[in-house]
Order: sequence, then C-alpha cells, then structure tokens
Amino acid sequence: MTVVPQGGDVSRGGGGGSGTLYDVLDLILDRGLVIDVFVRVSLVGIEILKIDARVVVASVDTYLRFAEACNRLDLESGRKAPAQLTDVVGDTLESGAKGKSKGALGGAMEAVADSLTGGGKKRQADDDRAELEEGTDAEEREPVEERRSTRRASRRERER
Amino acid sequence: MAVYVYSITAEDHPVRLDGVEGVGEEPAELRKVVAGSLCAVVSDAPDGLRPKRRDVMAHQAVQERLMADGAVLPLRFGLTAPDDDAVRDALEQGSAQYTQRIEAVRGCAEYNLKASQDEDAILREILLESETARELNDRIRRGEATPDMPVQLGELVAGEVQARQEALASGVIEALRPHSREVSTAQPTGEDFLNVSFLVAEDQEELFLATQLSVTNQLGEGYTFRLSGPLPPYSFV
Repeated sequence: MTVVPQGGDVSRGGGGGSGTLYDVLDLILDRGLVIDVFVRVSLVGIEILKIDARVVVASVDTYLRFAEACNRLDLESGRKAPAQLTDVVGDTLESGAKGKSKGALGGAMEAVADSLTGGGKKRQADDDRAELEEGTDAEEREPVEERRSTRRASRRERER
Repeated sequence: MAVYVYSITAEDHPVRLDGVEGVGEEPAELRKVVAGSLCAVVSDAPDGLRPKRRDVMAHQAVQERLMADGAVLPLRFGLTAPDDDAVRDALEQGSAQYTQRIEAVRGCAEYNLKASQDEDAILREILLESETARELNDRIRRGEATPDMPVQLGELVAGEVQARQEALASGVIEALRPHSREVSTAQPTGEDFLNVSFLVAEDQEELFLATQLSVTNQLGEGYTFRLSGPLPPYSFV
C-alpha cells in the first residue's frame, strides 16, 4: 500500500492561550477529585458547558436539518478535476465493501481518506470561549502545552 | 475561615510553590495541610469566587507545579472546606483511597484528545456511499419528492453520521489504548465526536504520541484533532 500525499494547506496553526484553556476547561471544571464533605462554590456558567453536549437526537427536527444540509451541499465543490473524481468514486466503492470486513477504524479510515472536502468549517470554540469570564491577567500564562495536530493535507491511500 | 482546596499529594511531596499564586483577586498564600501520610494544598478561600479565567488558570497552575515534582490528585475546580480541621478530617477519612490513587497515577500524565469532523465532509461521504441517500437527495433537489422524503433522508443520514462517528471514535480509542494505563471517555461537546482522556506512563509517552500522530495522519482531511497534555490526571482520580 502506498500513501500518496496530495499537498494542500497543511495546518491552520496552533491556537492561542485561550484556545488551549478552552480544550482543558471541561477537565478542570467537570472532572478532578470531589470530596463529598467539601462545598462547591456556586459557579455560574459551568452548566453552559453541558448544554452544548452533542447528541444526534432522533427527532424530526434533526432529520429535517440533516436533509436540508444534504440538499444544500454542493457535491461538486470538493471535486477539483474530473479525473480525480473518477478515481475517488472508484476508491470509495471499493473501500466501502472492504470496510465491512475490516475493523471499525480501518473501514472508516479508508472511506474517509477519500472524502471530498471543500473548505473547512471553523470550530465554534471562539464563540463558546466567551462563556469563561475574562480575568484581568487572562492571557499571561498557558496552563498546558497543547499539541494541535490539525491535518488538512489531502492524502489518499490506495491498495495495489 | 473557609479554605480553597487545590490538590492532595503524599506528605513527602516537596510542594514547591514559590512563584505560583492561588485563586482570588488578591490571592492568599498557598500552604499545606498535613494529615498522616497525606497532604492537601490549600489557600484561604476568597469571597465570591467565580469561574474567572484567572482563577481557573491559577487552579491549573498549582496542579502543574505540583505534578512536576511528583504524583498529585487534582481536585475539581471550586471546592472549599470550612477550615483546616475539616481538610484534615477528609484526608484521614479517605486516606486509603487517596493513597491508592496517588500510587495509581504516579509517573503518569493525562492526555486529553478531542476531535471534530467537518460536517460537509461527512455528509458528502454519506451521499457518495449510500445510493438510497443520494437518490432521495436528488429527488428532493429536483422537486420530485413526496412530503415524507426529507424526513426519510434526514433519518438515514443522522443514523449514518452517528454510526460512522461512533465507529471512528472507538477505533481511535482502541488504537491508543495499548499505550495507556487507563482510559476515560466523556461526552463530546460542540461539534466534537470524540472526547477521551488517557492516563499515560512516562515511558509510554513517546509511543503514545507517535501513535496519535499516525492516527491523525491516516484520517487526513476533514478532521481536526486537539491533543492536550501532559496534564494533571483530572480524569483518573
């Protein structure tokens, strides 16, 4: 099996300090040791994190939203050249069948390796981050080292 | 005087906290409360504490400093005890449990991995691979659909999205599990489909990171992985 890197923009770069904090916020606020006899100070805003939980709810509203998203989707936009399109569809059909007999990740990876992505959608983190009240010395320190491993490079795997 | 409690460590932990400040607008001094073989790191609790960025980061900074010198059990943000005696009582009561957890996380750090997938990308993938979905979509777009078709399409697609992302999430977790001691999954938020923490021993770190990178590379376009760590073991206490 050969991996053929297809170029493209490789990374959107790492986030700033606040992005780092955002990604560990749920750990600091929602996990960690709790000692029953201690009192948790009433922390307005913490619940906001949970409301945001992603659940694909089985409801007509959800279905209609997905249907609309599909209708709106420009299936052509991710296709750069007709030759490439033929390749990809061929690969997809092949890997779809192979996927069934492989492990979950293997199947998903093959399918995904051929996905026709247009532009990326930016994560909502910037907006969500606002839920954390700004302190005076907000941006001074980074709580953790983050390794942001965004890969936008287009790769295609083919079995020969 | 109420005290804010940051962490529990072993009594022989050096607890070097010079230059680190506690929570509050005018942070009170950080100090130790010792009971038997355990030690809690506390400060006088500020009035009206709220989850300000400054305070959350102060809480985190204390954990990180302690973690550099030995095993630490980080408390959840925002816990206060009525006074030092109450802290000592709590340490004594939970002594066996805390000692056991300190040993379990010794030499380890938490790595948290979150991942999201571009929605257009997954919808495209589904439409390309599912003939039924594609036909429904085409008929709706051409205006030839019966009224129930949008719901049919949506239901099909929603099911596919969920199944694919669950399979993908568990695939990623299983790929990394062998290089960790413990795994803790949590509810993903926002657009994420994965939110998982791994307890990784120091000597496994390199392999864990290499594997994570390799998984990210294999998945390629349309995915955003955010790995945070090494972190205090919030999810493993």
